[in-house]
Amino acid sequence: MLSYLCRATSSMKTHCFNQKFFHSSFPLAPVQLPSHQETHFWYILPNEVKNASLLNQYLELLSPHEKENVFRMRGEELKKGALLARALVRTTIARYQVNPQVSVTSLKFRKNIHGKPEVEWPHNDDGHQPLLHFNLSHTSSLIACGVTMNSPIGIDVEEKQRTIKNNILSFARRYFTHHEVELLAAISDPEVQRQEFIKLWTLKEAYVKALGRGFSGAPFKTFTLRYKAAAKGSFHLSGNSNSEASEITVDSFENASDFTSKWQFAIFELAGSHYAAICRGIPAEAEGSVPMKLTVWKTIPFVEDKRVSGTDAVVRIGGLFD
Amino acid sequence: MAFAAGSSISVTSISCSFKQNKAPIRFSSLNSMSLSINAKSFPSLRSRTVQNRFLVSCAAKPETVHKVCEIVRKQLALPAETAVTGDSKFAALGADSLDTVEIVMGLEEAFDISVQEDSAQNIATVQDAADLIETLVEKKGA
Repeated sequence: MLSYLCRATSSMKTHCFNQKFFHSSFPLAPVQLPSHQETHFWYILPNEVKNASLLNQYLELLSPHEKENVFRMRGEELKKGALLARALVRTTIARYQVNPQVSVTSLKFRKNIHGKPEVEWPHNDDGHQPLLHFNLSHTSSLIACGVTMNSPIGIDVEEKQRTIKNNILSFARRYFTHHEVELLAAISDPEVQRQEFIKLWTLKEAYVKALGRGFSGAPFKTFTLRYKAAAKGSFHLSGNSNSEASEITVDSFENASDFTSKWQFAIFELAGSHYAAICRGIPAEAEGSVPMKLTVWKTIPFVEDKRVSGTDAVVRIGGLFD
Repeated sequence: MAFAAGSSISVTSISCSFKQNKAPIRFSSLNSMSLSINAKSFPSLRSRTVQNRFLVSCAAKPETVHKVCEIVRKQLALPAETAVTGDSKFAALGADSLDTVEIVMGLEEAFDISVQEDSAQNIATVQDAADLIETLVEKKGA
């Protein structure tokens, strides 16, 4: 543990926290709230967390209800994944120190009408609720949490190597829109087709999670995602979404029921192993297409945080973002 | 059954447990019942069923439950030591929305049935899936 502490003191600002100091690790490094243009993205790799006492520390952060849910999962790996997901969400939000009354362990969560989790902040005197939004996604090998200020966010991560058991085009015809099916059908290489399918899936999943409605609340057939070359505004139907300047847009067949009618997307390769998609709402009055400012951290809470945006751990695939 | 208005119901001796979620209709002494529905007179049967959140779980045949377990196990690549039984919840087995969709498609292929999206959303456990399959298979045969 000594090596972790040495790394900590050289990279961390000391700060007073309203939380318990754990005996074998250092406190969470505080982070400034994201600006309205920024998206923060934190992820953890379960394979890197093996220390039993660290896992127990994470367990102690959870509410009784969360602990029950963890233990309800069948199998050790799934239990660990569920534990790390809750620990990631709690520690991530706690870093922003939005409210001095709220610590990593006292954070409360609730679900919106469609089941999307959100933070339940204690009521201030002026009734003003903090505008921090988050969304969680996980696979067995990577768990991620996206954070924004003042706009809804949805994220989805999938393993690049994820295999699809069913025929991809049958799958797409059933769940995707006509335009999206055409895009996939135009790809002759089955491996490329599979990859494009997964990317499209993660983008669509990120969108319905940003909407707050999830897969069952916003069927995938009710909206189309398109890649557009941002410079010329022309469509690329070849399925090649590797344009640096591509913008991703959504056309919904239903009325936008939200206050935000504009959505921003980003999709990137993460840690060499995953596709990660982000969707966030931007206010209708926002001008033009302002690129999303994305900051990505790899974390093992209480042990190590590493900012990885701008490294080869984050490789843009589509969407306008820095 | 809740489809009391003009449904044709045949009663045979198959034991059945009755699961009820928001149905306004109660049965006091229901021992056993099976169901054969004339699909033509209930074009909106499925959507009404879902709107009432009404589920009848007749104890699905063990081989149906077993087959569902197999498909789930394969889709989720579960380790051998993870038990999968009728009351296993998909979420607790680590299924995400893509897995759930793949499982439904796998079940459709295995049983030669077609599952509507609203029914698919109500499947939370292996038993739910097995019961739905048997309802759809029976409906096909009716």
